[in-house]
Amino acid sequence: MTETLKIYAAIILSLWGLALILLAYDVLREFFFRKTSRPLAVIYHVLTLIGFGLIVTYTLSLWIHLQRPPMRTTGETRLWYSLFGILVSYSIFLVWKYKALLGGGLFFGILFLAINLSNPEALSNTLAPALQSNWFIPHVIVYILAYAILGMSWFVAVIALITRKNPRWGGKEFSIADNLVHIGFGFLTLGLVFGAFWAKEAWGHYWTWDPKETWAMITWMAYLLYIHYRLVHKKDNTQALWILVIAFVLLIVCWFGINYIAVGENSVHTYSTN
Amino acid sequence: MTGNPENRRMWSGVWGYRESISITGGLFLTGIALGYALKREVTAVQWPANLFFGLFFILIIGFSAVFFRKSDTFRWLSGKKNAICAIAWYLIVITLLGFVPQKTEPSEDLLYRLGFSHILSSHYFLFAQVYLLMSLGMVTARRMNKLSVRNLAFLINHFGLWLTLFAIGLGAGDLQRVRMIINKEYPVYEGYDEHQEATGDLGLAIQLLDFSIDFYPPKAYIIEGSSGEVLEHDTYLSLKEGEYGEINGWKIHTKKYLEYALGMEEQYFPVYETGAMPAAYVVAESLDGSIISEGWISCGSYRFHGRYLELTKGQLLAMAQPEAKSYRSEIKIYTQEGDIFDAGLSVGKPVSVNGWKIYQTSYDTERGRWSEISIVELVKDPWISVVYAGMIMMVLGAFYLIITGKRKQE
Repeated sequence: MTETLKIYAAIILSLWGLALILLAYDVLREFFFRKTSRPLAVIYHVLTLIGFGLIVTYTLSLWIHLQRPPMRTTGETRLWYSLFGILVSYSIFLVWKYKALLGGGLFFGILFLAINLSNPEALSNTLAPALQSNWFIPHVIVYILAYAILGMSWFVAVIALITRKNPRWGGKEFSIADNLVHIGFGFLTLGLVFGAFWAKEAWGHYWTWDPKETWAMITWMAYLLYIHYRLVHKKDNTQALWILVIAFVLLIVCWFGINYIAVGENSVHTYSTN
Repeated sequence: MTGNPENRRMWSGVWGYRESISITGGLFLTGIALGYALKREVTAVQWPANLFFGLFFILIIGFSAVFFRKSDTFRWLSGKKNAICAIAWYLIVITLLGFVPQKTEPSEDLLYRLGFSHILSSHYFLFAQVYLLMSLGMVTARRMNKLSVRNLAFLINHFGLWLTLFAIGLGAGDLQRVRMIINKEYPVYEGYDEHQEATGDLGLAIQLLDFSIDFYPPKAYIIEGSSGEVLEHDTYLSLKEGEYGEINGWKIHTKKYLEYALGMEEQYFPVYETGAMPAAYVVAESLDGSIISEGWISCGSYRFHGRYLELTKGQLLAMAQPEAKSYRSEIKIYTQEGDIFDAGLSVGKPVSVNGWKIYQTSYDTERGRWSEISIVELVKDPWISVVYAGMIMMVLGAFYLIITGKRKQE
């Protein structure tokens, strides 16, 4: 299966890589010369979508091959992140006509797939009894969706921080970021509560301040802070953008940074690597 | 921004960030100092005192929302800026919790005295929670007079979170988690709490009738003969009868697999008896086909040794202990009222008796299939339905957020 991943990943990476280059060219041309090209846009749309089709196919075949949902290891969650990163950014791109966001999606998709390609992990098909729950799939899916959406909000915040001094800055970023955070926060809440319901059935209690739970709460509170901060500071606001940047850093710690800090040693969530 | 903070003197006019920061910061320091001076941790309040505290808290919020609704202080306390400070304070405390390793036993070092290595039972965390609950509760009470879809969503989100945190906090003292080790010899009627202390009679007794485990096919790996180390591998090889697999340059064919076997003179026979172990007859072939080696391998059990297959002079093929797919205890429950009944326990499928929920948690992992005991946990959580009511509201509120996003600025 590792060989199959290499082939799939190589094809998807070239498709998305090319799409990203064409998109970047299109965005820069629009920014500086106010010109866009329709045929060019059609090409990167198609490249993105073929790549998306392939990653969905690969993920499903992995699911069938392992006879369990491929959601147990960090590498497997990265695969879902690539998938949802593209899905989310493409959908939002269609709604908001904001090309940079598709660029962000492609960038994250490529990054996470490339990490998987460079660190192939052995795929074990066993699943501990406590993980065999109906909550497993919804819990992981809503979380990865939330991560993908909030990752996009981070990307938008970074773009805004870089370009906001430029007179050509459109200022679209704030409303996009706000929407992304509201939607992403909704999914984050679902993940938190689904996790609590699951824990109650499997481990006897819904919340034990396990390190992963603590960090999930930290992330949740950070986005909650952003939402309320924006209610008071409605105009363009650099601090709000910084809150968004930091919140995503906290999210990354929650996702896989925990494996590297001392408190995370005894977590039931520490992804198995053996 | 509302008001003009630059021109306003602190503690005068309509309060804002500066007052909120001063008060939350002051409470934070007070909490730390209190913990240091009292030399004791916060303990959860039990029934019925927690109910009185809760009602008193609700009364204060309701009272201020009715009689001081127009006052500047109430508007500030329930306002957005104060909410931001309450969230930030809570966030700072749990971020500390995310970094500082926590201790389970009291200690004399400064970090512990200041409350940073027992954050969950520190005074300042209690204050931060109460402050957040107050801010949330007041804004909920303040918004209860308007009826619109948007306001309803606001209320569900805020009241849902409030109810969840409120019930978790108040219910903490009534939560009981008891570990019990049950066996086939006699019914056990007491267990051990979180501090490993015996609980005394729990009002029910449990006896183990039968314990069973279902295993995944065991995995195989290759050991360096001289050092005894496992070779790194990027694939997993499961020993399933009739299947082929590959690991570290060897093609492995599992010709026969016995889940319960006993060995005799290099042979394994299917025997279902205490201490029986999994065994597999494998044919290993190097990828270039130059070396072929075959024979029995087994991971052994607590009673018998395992067995390796020598591939070359330096390498051995070994079987790993199989991983449990599921395990189950058949139990007999005796209640104080004289009821006796049988039940089946497995992970994720608890059984309810007399207000207790019984969970399957573990077994004697050394003995595995032949475990003579089963470890269960009894949980009593009388506030659970209130917590779930809050959480369900949060789920509904989350759906609203996902569907609407953030509306364009009003």
